[in-house]
Amino acid sequence: MRFTARPAAAIMSLSLAAAVLAGCSEQAAGGNDAAAEGACQPSDVRLVGQVRNESNPYEASWLAGGDAYAKSVGLTQERLTYDGDSTKQQEQISQLLAGDTKCLVMNVLPNGDSDTAPIVKGADQAGAYLVTQWNKPADLDPADHRTWVSHITYNGVESGQQIGDALATAIGGNGGIIALQGILDTAAAKDRFAGLEASLKKNTGVKLLDQQAANFSRAEALTVTKTLLTKHGEHVKGIWAANDDMALGALEALQQQGLAGKVAVVGIDAVPDAVKAVQGGTMTATVSSDGAWQGGIGLAIGYCVATGKLAVKDIAAANRAFFAEQFLITKDNAADFVSPKTNPADFECANVFNRVAGPLT
Amino acid sequence: MTVTAGVTAAPRRRTRRGAAFRDAGPPVALVVIFGIFAALSPQFRSVDNVQNIVDAAAVLAVVTCGITFVLMMGSIDLSAAGVMGAAALTVSLLVANNRNDNDFGLLGILVAVLLGCAFGCLSGLALVLLKVPSFMATLGVSAVGLGVATLLFAGVQPNISDTMLKGWAIERFLGFSYLTWIAAACVLVGWLVQRYTRLGRYAFAIGGAEEVLTLSGVRVKPYKIAVFALAGAFYGLGGVMVTSQLGAGLVQAGDGYDFSAITAAVVGGTLLTGGRGGVLHSAVGVLLVMVLTNGLVQVGVSPYWQGGVEGLIVVAAVAAAVIPQRRRNQVVK
Amino acid sequence: MNASTPALEVRGLVKHYPGVKALDGVDLIVRQNEVLGLAGENGAGKSTLLKALVGLVTPDAGEIYVRGEQVKLRSVVDAADHGIGMVFQEQSLVPNLTAAENIVLGSEGAAVRRGVYRWDTMRRLAQEQLDKIGSDIDPLARTDTLTFADRQMVEIAKVLRIEERSQHPPVIILDEPTSVLESKEIETLFAQIRRLREFASVIFVSHRLDEVLDVCDRVTVLRGGQSAGEVATAGAEPGELHRMMIGSTGSDDHYHENAAAPVTAAEPRLSVRGMSGKTFHGIDLDVAAGEIVAIVGVHGSGREDVCRALFGAEPTTAGEIRMDGKKIDLPGTRAACAAGIGYVPAERKIEGMVGPMSVAENMTLTKQRARCTGPFVAPRKQAGLVDRWIERLSIRTPGRDTAIGRLSGGNQQKVVLARWLVAGDIRLLLLDHPTRGLDIGARSEVYRLMRELAASGVATVLLADSLEEAIGMADRILVMNDGRVAAEIACPSGGKPSPLDLVKEMV
Repeated sequence: MRFTARPAAAIMSLSLAAAVLAGCSEQAAGGNDAAAEGACQPSDVRLVGQVRNESNPYEASWLAGGDAYAKSVGLTQERLTYDGDSTKQQEQISQLLAGDTKCLVMNVLPNGDSDTAPIVKGADQAGAYLVTQWNKPADLDPADHRTWVSHITYNGVESGQQIGDALATAIGGNGGIIALQGILDTAAAKDRFAGLEASLKKNTGVKLLDQQAANFSRAEALTVTKTLLTKHGEHVKGIWAANDDMALGALEALQQQGLAGKVAVVGIDAVPDAVKAVQGGTMTATVSSDGAWQGGIGLAIGYCVATGKLAVKDIAAANRAFFAEQFLITKDNAADFVSPKTNPADFECANVFNRVAGPLT
Repeated sequence: MTVTAGVTAAPRRRTRRGAAFRDAGPPVALVVIFGIFAALSPQFRSVDNVQNIVDAAAVLAVVTCGITFVLMMGSIDLSAAGVMGAAALTVSLLVANNRNDNDFGLLGILVAVLLGCAFGCLSGLALVLLKVPSFMATLGVSAVGLGVATLLFAGVQPNISDTMLKGWAIERFLGFSYLTWIAAACVLVGWLVQRYTRLGRYAFAIGGAEEVLTLSGVRVKPYKIAVFALAGAFYGLGGVMVTSQLGAGLVQAGDGYDFSAITAAVVGGTLLTGGRGGVLHSAVGVLLVMVLTNGLVQVGVSPYWQGGVEGLIVVAAVAAAVIPQRRRNQVVK
Repeated sequence: MNASTPALEVRGLVKHYPGVKALDGVDLIVRQNEVLGLAGENGAGKSTLLKALVGLVTPDAGEIYVRGEQVKLRSVVDAADHGIGMVFQEQSLVPNLTAAENIVLGSEGAAVRRGVYRWDTMRRLAQEQLDKIGSDIDPLARTDTLTFADRQMVEIAKVLRIEERSQHPPVIILDEPTSVLESKEIETLFAQIRRLREFASVIFVSHRLDEVLDVCDRVTVLRGGQSAGEVATAGAEPGELHRMMIGSTGSDDHYHENAAAPVTAAEPRLSVRGMSGKTFHGIDLDVAAGEIVAIVGVHGSGREDVCRALFGAEPTTAGEIRMDGKKIDLPGTRAACAAGIGYVPAERKIEGMVGPMSVAENMTLTKQRARCTGPFVAPRKQAGLVDRWIERLSIRTPGRDTAIGRLSGGNQQKVVLARWLVAGDIRLLLLDHPTRGLDIGARSEVYRLMRELAASGVATVLLADSLEEAIGMADRILVMNDGRVAAEIACPSGGKPSPLDLVKEMV
């Protein structure tokens, strides 16, 4: 497709007008306008990845995945971090939306559920393509919006259950375990712990001796684990941690108490150190929430829509908000996950929804 | 500060016995709380658990030691989190690790501590030369520290393989980890500095009546900078110790330590208005806080309740500690 | 240098501040082994002169000679090197350090080597200083555990450290050293000053002219930044000094006794029966409307606490308080305010006012209602009210929005008093040392104000700054001794008791 300058401008203003009209007429579900979508030259697309900070392995791999994807389509990703500060995140978003938003693609990790709504509203008004991950309030649905293409998250209940089962198997289906919870008022912590409870129902021989919050922190997990080990002593056969950082903290505690290798440890997130620990046998299992893939896929979905290779109205409702596929990593398959690599084929427009594991429940 | 100066100037006699009674609050609270938990939980009073509590207190003790000097001066220091993060990354990249071929051992640790010292210096200079309130100056320095740490982190967690540094957290002497002995040494050094050096005594005096020092011909500014630098060195060491515990350099190594340290110091009887308290007070405060967090877990208080219960007990402990010194119409800010 | 060379001489010292000529060519001579009094109203230039002598103020012109040699004093250390040291008006000790540390502060010498304290050496050095003035204070006691009198001794011991710096007899400046001391303590201090004279020269500053005449050999009077003259104290009268200070014949009757209103009320405005607290027991006290009752007593007699208890700021264990026959509970200061009781605290700077806030805000702290519409401050309403009182009390302030901390002591006190007058329905006023730290002119105005209030029917309880003040102002005097009322002495205009009558009951 090639336009001379003037018709392009005409189409642009038309499409803008159409976008405004579409917005006003409150057409629900997929009320979109073909003229507005897909009008971008691949080289005009602006890719933005926004996460909390670059100071932990998971989010660092997210941004790295975004960079890799951007490179594969001949663009660069703008990296934004907001230090876990909701106000700062909103400011960054409004600055972005105040600029040229026609071909803007944003892959955003909202700080919390409540931060999602204003981001979605802003993107919708400005016509920027948006993919959000992890956090959104249950009553806010991408299907009700024009440019909020997708929301991706992982099924925390499933992750919690998978590692719970793996832990049960590792201790031979019998014995006491302790659980390290995340920040108690987050959805991730709640879901994952619900998964553990489901697993416990199934594995009746496993007894939950104690559960404490270590707030997803490696240092807190170290202290709490030591305390629980002195409290329950030899009864502790396994440690269930709601993320890998806490699992790694628990491993340090075991080492310092001289119990390394005697107690099974499981976590979630598949950060490189945890995968290595699984590979080396000190840790039993973790679940991959593939950060590099998340960083790439959000941009890929937006890019495909912006360049017209994918139309929002053609995306199945189930793919507008979905759980992504996750993998239980044990010693058998750990080698495949040691260094987070992305597969370029995953990001081709025909494949972007290949990892959908199911609709959001 | 004028408030404290004024209140102490109120025409009341106070005996030295009164002064001793005033300091007795926190240790008594510590004994009482320990006693209650010991009565409730046999695991709590086990030797293992007591070792565990003391070991867990090590890092907080070192950080609190540093912050105490700043608080004694009547300033406040929120830079611990950033400085510890920067020191943690620095040391983990300088000793044997999985990111590069460095293996400087003790020298690397020294560099990290000196880095902390430099950050402290920066806070002090901002306070003294640019007249930025310590609250803001140290908050800024903390952000700088986190920035440096993030740059050094560069996406890959450095895991340390230095056996000496890792050994600090694992090896034991007389039942306590090396880290605990290091912390004990820090408290001792802190106490000696506070009791026997001009730096320590002047920090105390600055919190008591800064103008008086000036009127006596003392140049106060260098001491202020030195106090922040000293505190920074303690934070740096704290960052190194966290790295030893976790076996890896984390940007978040100092997360939460700034406020926990202030809490511990205040619980121990160091006033935020300055001029009262000290390293030993703070050490008691650290133990109090640690006994509390450990005890609540041992007794089996639900994690959903712990935060609230802990907060209530801390407020109660502080209130109990200050009752002996409560005076008519004393202004508290 | 010979014996007749002055220890310290000042010639034509000038210091300008924006808009003010603080010193306008002051001359001053301090002879060797002499106690020189320095008198002058507030604003006469006393404190600027003193500051110039210890290097805290650099004069614009004029010379300072120490033992005949011209010197430039740039800092406190400079002054100390020349043997000049000062005991500051606001007590200048670090409260949380030991007495020994305070004594050697800034000139630790052998007590600190390479930044490390030698406590033994320090204790010895401090003990030497304390021995000089014959004080038996424990050098290692924390300063804030000492009495004010002892702290004053520590200050003097500290200032004598300058002897170690200069090889000559020191010049010691005492700025208002008696303002926080009780009479017995003042006697001790004066004994010290007379001892100091044996080996040093002393400049003594006080608002109380009787003290100045008592302890000094000679008095130099400052007025308007200039030396107004000097008086040999032998046989001199306070009135003479007073006249020199204000530049004209001063009113001897500054207590405004003739304005005292006769007290007639049948039922007392305030009636206290059997009130007990931590430091006082079984206090009975009646004050009629329009009456001024003074409570006198030595330090520790409990009179301050009685005063505070009446305002609900000090807990009581027994007794009852009635206002106009109506029993009131005083669980706190709010109830006292509601009952029409106003309190002017002694610690003006701490309890009486909020330094950085404006005159207007300070004046209306109590009576928020007067200037508020709902929770919001109504600036115009406030402005009118405040301006009226600034005018009525002739408060000298650049404007109602000036921070109160920038006014002179007397004007600050007037603002604090005005706070209760603004409240309007004030029935009982508790005045705790209302004239502390004020000069004669300002005091006189406060006295006039008290008379006016009494005339308008306000009952007043007064803790006077001196016995003379109590006798001059009161209609009746209660003498307290060891927490109990020891005597009640009528004190009508024309039939005033002598201070001696009171002292008999006090000890």
